[in-house]
Amino acid sequence: MRSLIHYRRNLRATGVAAVAALLLAACAPGGTSEAGPVPSKPASTSIGSEPVPLKLLVTSGVDVPFYTALGKLFHAKHGNVTVKVENQDYATLTTTIARTLAGDNVPDLVRVPQLGNLTKDHLLLSLDPYVEAYGWNAWPQSQFASTRVGPDGTQRGTGSLYAAGAGFGLTGVYYNKALAQRIGMTRPPATVAEFEQLLAKAKDAGLQPIMTNGKDGGSVYPLQNLMISYAGDAQAVQDWNYTKPGASIDNAATVKGATTLQRWGRAGYLPADANDIDQTRAPAEFIKGNGVFFPSGNWQAPNLDKTAPGQFGFFLFPPDVAGGPSYAMTAAANLGIPAKSQNADVAAAFLDFVQTDQQARQETVTLGGLVPAGPTDAPAPTTPEGSAVAATVNAFQKLLKSNGLVGFMADATASIHVNSLVPQTQLLLAGKTTPEAFAAKVQSDYERDLGR
Amino acid sequence: MIAASRPRGEAAPSVPALEAMRQAATVTDSSSVPAARRRRSWSALLWVVPAFGMYGVFVLFPMLQSVQYSFYDWDGIGPATPAGLDNWKAIFTQPELLQAVVHAFVLVVFYTVLPVGLGLVAASFIRELRPGAFSTTARVVLFVPQVLPLVAAGIAWTWMYSSDGLVNQVLRAVGLDQYTRAWLGDLAFALPAVGVIGVWVMLGFCTVLLLAGIGKIDPALYEAARLEGAGRVGEFFAVTLPGLRRELVVCTTFTIIAALASFDVVQVATQGGPGYQTMVPGVQIYRLTFLQQHVGQASALAVFLAVVVLVVIWPIQRLGREK
Repeated sequence: MRSLIHYRRNLRATGVAAVAALLLAACAPGGTSEAGPVPSKPASTSIGSEPVPLKLLVTSGVDVPFYTALGKLFHAKHGNVTVKVENQDYATLTTTIARTLAGDNVPDLVRVPQLGNLTKDHLLLSLDPYVEAYGWNAWPQSQFASTRVGPDGTQRGTGSLYAAGAGFGLTGVYYNKALAQRIGMTRPPATVAEFEQLLAKAKDAGLQPIMTNGKDGGSVYPLQNLMISYAGDAQAVQDWNYTKPGASIDNAATVKGATTLQRWGRAGYLPADANDIDQTRAPAEFIKGNGVFFPSGNWQAPNLDKTAPGQFGFFLFPPDVAGGPSYAMTAAANLGIPAKSQNADVAAAFLDFVQTDQQARQETVTLGGLVPAGPTDAPAPTTPEGSAVAATVNAFQKLLKSNGLVGFMADATASIHVNSLVPQTQLLLAGKTTPEAFAAKVQSDYERDLGR
Repeated sequence: MIAASRPRGEAAPSVPALEAMRQAATVTDSSSVPAARRRRSWSALLWVVPAFGMYGVFVLFPMLQSVQYSFYDWDGIGPATPAGLDNWKAIFTQPELLQAVVHAFVLVVFYTVLPVGLGLVAASFIRELRPGAFSTTARVVLFVPQVLPLVAAGIAWTWMYSSDGLVNQVLRAVGLDQYTRAWLGDLAFALPAVGVIGVWVMLGFCTVLLLAGIGKIDPALYEAARLEGAGRVGEFFAVTLPGLRRELVVCTTFTIIAALASFDVVQVATQGGPGYQTMVPGVQIYRLTFLQQHVGQASALAVFLAVVVLVVIWPIQRLGREK
């Protein structure tokens, strides 16, 4: 038994020594605090003639054939560049991107789901020199706003550009043309009130007025639109999205928007099991005819057209007052150049190419289901007449000119979507929170996220 | 000699280093020459080093690191700033974080109490079956959920629970239409619904383990109980239950850890929703680390969870050791 005690004593001594060593060596974890942005390398628009492998890291699914096609088009123009497309699913990429970019084997272009701390940690290259070199500063600037980051590394919408993309997502309301006809809808509703009347008609006709995926945030789209419509303009929401100092959505428009959404839920305009419907099931139900309206984004359009050509229409969410401005939520499919990329110049050339080349812009619509922006005089992609895709492309062009594109509230902070907007909207629809409490809670979570 | 001095049931070492030390201790106990004992003890220590080294590098060091991180504000990449006790205070002041811990304890009912209880019943019945096709089938059916990845189980159950899923179809078939609902989307029923997935997964594990334990009980004891006139119930309480003490401790320990540290099923089936109804610490830690990049806050919650698990497990382990 004595030897056991002896061992215990030894073990304890070893343990104490280990802890002591750790504490002695314990400096703060993490990297050093180098100040200022990564020094920009001299930017060049030259691609050279040496063979260059250009590695893209994008999200799994529709992005893979899309970027592969873009890569082939680029290779056809610049024979020395071979584009290699790698992919990770969206959730994985979101969670691993910082580690990947901090590592040694970085891609040359990476799909950036959220900027987060990527700029603060100097993991992405500032695109400012290329903005200058390629003349992007002469294009409509609203398309770049969401990927500009201020010097504090947090506030967006101002400062240096860190990502750009081939195309944009855009939200609005899809409608089933046949069912819409049945409830006497001859044109898209001009006001929120008119929209609500249509919902009531649909309900009376025994139809499901709205289909939405409340489980993963689909019901946040109409809510944000209602907030903007009631506010009359998108400034408050846009400031909030870009985390401008003092931004707040704890206001009358939010309360009114939340009240309306809750009323729609109570009246049965939203599915009774909305909180259980996810983003896979909602479009499937809508295609089946379960739902006259489906508030969602243009990424649904190619599939809707493929399944039932010409049967689904799309309109922008109506304003509160007839003739008022229309708004839609948008987000670019952003690509950033990692700070450690060896082929930054070629990567930037690729970014310019996908925004300006006619064929590339066509693929962006056809394969990517996204709307290209780019310069004002860029060739417009062709779309089949009467298709949902055509409707979304037209709506986007209209909003690009009227400055009606707003970011998603979901992108304001890294966790505002999953930790606040989705659960709070679910509680709102379930009648477990009031519109006032909803506005206050989302605002306080937001401020906590930002350390304000 | 060595085997005899080791209590039954500890033959399978959970921690290699400790087991090696225990063996070394037993060997030296049998030695009578003090000098030889000393030499042997040191050489024994040498055998421990590789295992202890691995244990230290891959278990102890990361654990201590987590404790250290919990006092910093760090995004995992950039510079860290000391945060004092802020991360720890947040656990008790942010309602969502503490609520998640409460949900984990609700899951204990579903992951531990029900599977162990039902497992005892199932094991007792299967014991009485003659070995054959039916008894084998029963075991396989009960154990299959344990073989499936939890993610797959989560997805399958999501379908079964949906508005048109199997659960509601069955309810409609038997005329209970008014009770149909989107189970995982219902604020009142989401957490119990997730819990039932836990019952389904854990029941097989408990049953098989308890069956193995029953197999080790001396049949003479059952015979004696029968001769004394004990019925099935009496037999269960007099022979089966006391004979399964160690297996019950293992079952309870394992399932409580699974409940308190649950992640996969919740992440797949509900992502913590609707509202915050099914949020558990595992999902919170994952989000804090990878989505919000609050490594410090995540570490504090993880260390807190580990301590909670230990506090709950410790008395159960004591209970198992008593004679």
